[in-house]
Amino acid sequence: MQKDFCDGAPWHFRRPYYINMKIVSIIIILLITVVLSFSFSERHNKTYNNLYETSINAFKQEQSSLEKIITRADLSSEKDIQVIKQKIASARLALKNIDFWLRYFEPIAYKKINGPLPVEWENEVFEKFEPPYKREGAGLTVAELYLDGKILSKDSLLQLIKKSQTAIQTFEADSISSQLNAYHHFFLANRLFLLNLAAVYTTGFECPDTNRIIPELRSLLNGTANIYTTYNLSFPATPLTKEYLTAYDSTVEFVNHQPTSFSSFDHFDFIKNHINTLYALNQQYINDYNVNSINLNDYTINNNNRTIFSKSLYNPQNTKGVFSLVDDEKILSEIRRIGKLLFYDPILSGNNMRSCASCHKPDQYYTDTTRRTALQFDNQHSLPRNTPTLINSVYNHLLMLDGKHISLQAQGKDVMTNPAEMNSNEKELIKKVLSCKEYKDAFRKFLKLTPEEKDISLNHIVSAITYYDGSFSSFTAPFDDAMNNKQVIGADVKKGFNLFMSKAQCATCHFVPNFNGVKPPYIGSEFEVIGTPEDTSFVNISSDKGRYTINPATETLHAFRTGSIRNAQFTKPYMHNGVFNTLEEVIDFYDAGGGTGKKLKIDNQTLAGDSLKLSTGEKKQLIAFIHSLNENVIFETSPASLPRSSDKELNNRKVGGQY
Amino acid sequence: MKSILGIIFILFCTVLVQCKTQKIEYNIPSHVSALNRAIFLDRCEKGRILFKANCSGCHGIFTKGKDGVPNFTKDEIDNYRAVVLIARDQKNHAVAAKMSPEQIDHIITFLSLRIEKK
Repeated sequence: MQKDFCDGAPWHFRRPYYINMKIVSIIIILLITVVLSFSFSERHNKTYNNLYETSINAFKQEQSSLEKIITRADLSSEKDIQVIKQKIASARLALKNIDFWLRYFEPIAYKKINGPLPVEWENEVFEKFEPPYKREGAGLTVAELYLDGKILSKDSLLQLIKKSQTAIQTFEADSISSQLNAYHHFFLANRLFLLNLAAVYTTGFECPDTNRIIPELRSLLNGTANIYTTYNLSFPATPLTKEYLTAYDSTVEFVNHQPTSFSSFDHFDFIKNHINTLYALNQQYINDYNVNSINLNDYTINNNNRTIFSKSLYNPQNTKGVFSLVDDEKILSEIRRIGKLLFYDPILSGNNMRSCASCHKPDQYYTDTTRRTALQFDNQHSLPRNTPTLINSVYNHLLMLDGKHISLQAQGKDVMTNPAEMNSNEKELIKKVLSCKEYKDAFRKFLKLTPEEKDISLNHIVSAITYYDGSFSSFTAPFDDAMNNKQVIGADVKKGFNLFMSKAQCATCHFVPNFNGVKPPYIGSEFEVIGTPEDTSFVNISSDKGRYTINPATETLHAFRTGSIRNAQFTKPYMHNGVFNTLEEVIDFYDAGGGTGKKLKIDNQTLAGDSLKLSTGEKKQLIAFIHSLNENVIFETSPASLPRSSDKELNNRKVGGQY
Repeated sequence: MKSILGIIFILFCTVLVQCKTQKIEYNIPSHVSALNRAIFLDRCEKGRILFKANCSGCHGIFTKGKDGVPNFTKDEIDNYRAVVLIARDQKNHAVAAKMSPEQIDHIITFLSLRIEKK
């Protein structure tokens, strides 16, 4: 029967056919609905997409007319140079209308459009296991710097513009422009925009002509207001609320009423009362609207934090190491307790005399303020570099002044096994540690939490230590409290901060809020060449090659990772070799234009060699600001005793060592 | 008859044991030195254990996994963005987000060097 039905009956009588018909028609209706809804949403989105397209096209026109002007120009004529410079200025303004998107979508291509330097070496946190990347900059800023150089070649200048013309095409690719069809990218791009407003745009970091910083800021803010309006038209379900828009309007008004000179601009008020408010609201949108990221720029920034001046702004180094998957508070506090004992225990060193606390002295902000550089293991020679404070070390993506290490654990292991420092070896060290019953019992318990580790290893020991010393970085300073409206701060501190952000040029390397070399989007650590001398006679530059030893390149010779200025009052001596003893000396050195300013021959100094022309009063204000970054650190008391070892000789060791 | 059964039994046991102890093989380029090879193998092994304990519930290499979740073929893992996306995504990868960079590295090393069974 079944057979007949299938084979014999005319095809239009077959029952399955009718069923199929129904299913097919339902599917067709569904498809039409889906297609229609898509086309509606597409039409709906167009205002915002159109603005993106037209703004990019406007900038492209600026680029090509700049190219034409350069082609026709006579580079030996001062008049023609001025015409080119004017055109660069107008192209920069057009760029401000798309800056909001460009920087977020593809920062590497952006560097070819308006990079601050011809060559930058980067090592970003998500590239932890990759070699440093060379980023070639081109475009407007680099072209302008080139025009101020001594020898001009039209071809080289044109190349800088042509590279930027190629780079802008990146932003027209589907993979990027398709992101404009959903709201997610908007709040993340806006977050980066706000962070850059606080840390980069007002400092002259990428605007060599300081007279143009505030005018450009104004056009940037206006361009972005336009983006906001069209965004709200296209995405009414996930809008910027009135509260945000009102706060933004008042920001624009504030900037319009501020002096045009960036040295007189009130950076303090701008960040505290305007940008930080906007940041809090934008973070709230990111949570409320369930914003998803597919962009590497968002890698470290914490979605749950509500203020720029917080230690939770971006994720610090991992302090737990092998214990990363341990959540149990009780066990964690046990790991911390063992870590503390180990921190003070000279058993970790080859001669059982040195502990972590020997150089990172707990009563001296976890550094050694009594020596330029610590003594080597032989107690005779000095190490090449100053002991850094452990406070806030977790906020560096690369560790050591040359960025040798990518994790706290790797750094810790290096110190323990380095013949010039603690001169121990893994096997010996573990044997000695496990000769103490207290350690042995604890690590046996911890071993069970790390199934991937076969035996108790240096990984366990170092992770316990980093879990302990990573906790020194959680404190805040009066300046943070002032920024978060919890405290009023003196007028000289505000003036000092405003100088720091402008005339004194500190903030072009020490970025808000940690005032270290980590700038928005807080995924990499920066290195600078400032020409630190060997000694205060300023005859020779320090022979330390710095970053060059890790990544040899013309740009990295004598480059060092930018340190934080938090707690600087208490962490003397200063610079990588501890050459300066007071903050006054440091500021005088920068005021003079670094090593170049002091007439040392340095070809690749990243700091301008001209004097900053700071007055005595201004220097005092800068120091007042630096003092306001002294954190309310609660120092640990050292343990009363160390675990007993089965090896009697080891029981003579002293808490904290004897170095 | 008994001896035949015995032989079959022994063969059966051998197969069982082989199945149980079948080692994952890794594709480490021939130019890698013996010392580095040992380091790689150590990382792979740590990665395998971490993966099995924390990832294989969804990503089916050892088990069935979940539908629509990548099984990390060679091509998928070669894209280094995987490292980033895994560690970043707090919703689907809460465990991975907690891991140390080294632990993530061990897992990625394991996934990229293991020879996939055909």
